[in-house]
Amino acid sequence: MGVEKRAFKQAMFAVRDEEAALDIVQDAMLRLTEKYGHLPLAQLPLLFHRIVQNAIRDWYRRQKVRSLWTTLLSSLAPGRDDDDQDPLETLEATDGSNLQAAPAELLQQRQALEIIEQEISRLPARQREAFILRYWEELDVAETARAMNCSEGSVKTHCSRAAHALASALTARGITPDPKS
Amino acid sequence: MNETQEKQFGHRIRQILNQGTHEVRPAVAQRLAAARQRALERHRAEPALAWADNATGRVGWAGLALRVLLPLAMLIACAGALYTWQQNQRAAEIEEVDALLLTDDLPIDAYLDRGFQNWLRKHDGEQ
Repeated sequence: MGVEKRAFKQAMFAVRDEEAALDIVQDAMLRLTEKYGHLPLAQLPLLFHRIVQNAIRDWYRRQKVRSLWTTLLSSLAPGRDDDDQDPLETLEATDGSNLQAAPAELLQQRQALEIIEQEISRLPARQREAFILRYWEELDVAETARAMNCSEGSVKTHCSRAAHALASALTARGITPDPKS
Repeated sequence: MNETQEKQFGHRIRQILNQGTHEVRPAVAQRLAAARQRALERHRAEPALAWADNATGRVGWAGLALRVLLPLAMLIACAGALYTWQQNQRAAEIEEVDALLLTDDLPIDAYLDRGFQNWLRKHDGEQ
């Protein structure tokens, strides 16, 4: 349930661009069904994570080449305004399950979520990948290692570092995501 | 942070991140759902195509007749008609030559006589 939404969020943490994240998830889903559709269903979730992570890495590679051209051409291009941004979009209602919550509480939750997402985005790529696969996707250490194509030891190290870095960053920003809060 | 604390921390972050999936814009959610549907449709279509390929090889005689045997039969019929027409043409040419020879004033034996040909050649040389 919501696999594609979680994958989209993960892609967003990494690429921070909605269109690019959508492309990554769409391509990953198509690739999964086209190339690996014949495999047993139990193998597909792990493969999907692997495809998404590889697609994110591919995006970074392509972005490196593109940014070179952008740097070269930016001095020639005219300045762009943000006219194409719709201010009404920020007022859009969401169909979340917490609409019944009090406005102040809702705002607090949203702010916490936003900060957590920002801090996850700031983690080094491999640490973020390991942490998300391990704790959001609830893969075990061995599965995470297979999805990331690395050793189980590396997964543990990446997860531990990510958890420490994230906890410190959140504490610094006044967020304590413990069960009591 | 020990391993247990890390797991608890991870679990809490998971709960918060799951809330975040509800915050995905409806337009994005729709595109994701459509992409998922497209991927699933392609997944369903592939085994069907594979089956169809095998079926043509084993039991698809109707398809085979329509695509292979019918053009082959038409080709053979055309070749046969062309051969018959050519044979008729040749027979008609021979008949015509025969008719001309038989109705000519010159007797037919004249063409078979070498002496007559030699006489003609000699006569041409003199003229």
